Amino acid sequence: MPITILQPSLAPPAKLRDADSDSDSEGGADLEGDIAMGRPAKRARTQDSSIMTPGEIITDDPQWMRGHGTYVIPGASSNTILSSVAGTLAKTNKLLSVRPLRARYTPEIGDLVVGRIVEVQAKRWRVDVGGTLLAQLPLSAINLPGGIQRRRTETDELQIRTFFSEGELLVAEVQQLYNDGAAVLHTRSLKYGKLRNGVFMSVTGTGGGGGVVRARRQAFTLDISGTDEVSGSEKIDVLLGVNGYIWISKHIEGEGAAAETSGPGITRIEESVGLNVYSSQNDIIPVDTMREIARVRGVVTALVENGLRVDEEMVTKGYAEAVEMAKEERDSADTLWLGGERGKRLANALVGR
Amino acid sequence: MPLDTSTYNLALLRVDGRRWNELRQQKGQLGVQPSADGSAYLEMGNTKIQCIITGPNERDTKSTSSASTAPTSHGLGATVAVSIMIAPFATVDRKRRGRNDKRLQEMQTTIASGLAATVQGQSYGPRSTIHISLNVLSQDGSLLACLINAASLALVDAGVPMTDYLVACTAGSTSSYAAADEEADPLLDLNTQEEQELPFLTLATLGATDKVVAMVCESRVQLTRLEGMMATAADGCKGVRDFLDGVVRDKGELMVQEGAIGRGEVVSSMDLD
Repeated sequence: MPITILQPSLAPPAKLRDADSDSDSEGGADLEGDIAMGRPAKRARTQDSSIMTPGEIITDDPQWMRGHGTYVIPGASSNTILSSVAGTLAKTNKLLSVRPLRARYTPEIGDLVVGRIVEVQAKRWRVDVGGTLLAQLPLSAINLPGGIQRRRTETDELQIRTFFSEGELLVAEVQQLYNDGAAVLHTRSLKYGKLRNGVFMSVTGTGGGGGVVRARRQAFTLDISGTDEVSGSEKIDVLLGVNGYIWISKHIEGEGAAAETSGPGITRIEESVGLNVYSSQNDIIPVDTMREIARVRGVVTALVENGLRVDEEMVTKGYAEAVEMAKEERDSADTLWLGGERGKRLANALVGR
Repeated sequence: MPLDTSTYNLALLRVDGRRWNELRQQKGQLGVQPSADGSAYLEMGNTKIQCIITGPNERDTKSTSSASTAPTSHGLGATVAVSIMIAPFATVDRKRRGRNDKRLQEMQTTIASGLAATVQGQSYGPRSTIHISLNVLSQDGSLLACLINAASLALVDAGVPMTDYLVACTAGSTSSYAAADEEADPLLDLNTQEEQELPFLTLATLGATDKVVAMVCESRVQLTRLEGMMATAADGCKGVRDFLDGVVRDKGELMVQEGAIGRGEVVSSMDLD
């Protein structure tokens, strides 16, 4: 591939904030009138802003209840609710909470998450799901190969690394939460399990100004046969973990984590859970499929860089748009890279600006 | 190089042209490192700090053994771990500092315990740690104050709940200890030149309140002058808080404008039946 030298573009203007460095002063050496200049603007901004910042009083009306992102001064008799994070205010009936502008992932029961095993213990795995604490996956919460239903014995405990070992990726559901916010996962469905044949990427978690949002469907299949470079009908599975971890892989008919639609019922689980569900060996992936996987990854990166949300609709539309862009620029050497100016164009086309 | 403070009494202007109660020019930016959990860049005059936050997460702290740690919420909450790195090019004379520089470690401890008192870590549990990494890119006085402010700003970016911003500022006195001048004026926000000659202290307060979270005074000064210096520093802290708050609000409003986050609701008692 020939080397292309891109013309350097100007860096986006840094949003540095300058301030008039005046402090409160009564008398002293300050000249008459020169401190008043910055003031009125400052007041006006604070009033019409809908952003809450730490230490800001939200309300002192005793009717409201405090939720996440708020606190009351302990021991104080007044019912003043203050904000403890920077974010926007949300009201649910009489509950006041502040949604932070950015925060780490906080697990909720039922979340679809992509995780990486960091530690193997006697009867459980410890999984990094991008939260404040490691999640745990008990040995009893996985499907055994062949789909056999039985108690986990000592033999299973000794063979724990044949299921998952350190560094391996998996998709799971949050089954339970502890008081300290730690999650317990399970993979007892054909949708969940070990991940292979794909690429992992991570975007900042919930409330991150863009990033993955909780949606009706977190896993879906993209048809890549629309691109004329691809021969035959190939598909790509995209798994958008609620925790901001994303898995993009080759679609395999009848198995795979994204096999969302009408899988076999629990009664036929024995036949369908093959013996290779815990295999760490990748299948042979055609180069075309690999390229399209990389393109989907580029689309997600572009969405994140431009502060757009990452969900099924945006990724599907973004991928179609990226394919169109690639068709237009057939003569250019690299159509996969969707950063910088190209990413901005893609994002603009998506939101129609 | 000693500072010629005698000129101060003539024009009431300091070496860099400020009056006694003026802060230096400040610049701040949030989210400078998008891949980090939280990050901030802060300039106070020529002191320039970058702060990167990792966590809260549950990882072994062995890799950052040089960091100073302090538990939040009386041991029931997340641990705050602070490590400071001073770039070799940060000062006029280029020098490399060891990892266990005692002055650095003391600053780390001060920042860690100060922030631990401000962060509401109980929602994270005692097993998680918030790693705060502070990089000093340029050093020109009020280093500890600037480090605290930068860490505070980055914690807000990381979405860590806090009682209020932890803000800090230095204050000095216009004449040296030896001069024994009871009438000496206090000075706000000292630069390196002033710090080298004059007695000064660093004061950290909880937001715009007068609640002192940390105070460090390493120079000899008459007790009678101390109160004036503390009052001046507390006043400076209010100015710093206004500034940091402005940075956060600007960023938030930009995100609302761009549609990255939904518009917030407004509390008014009208809404209740």
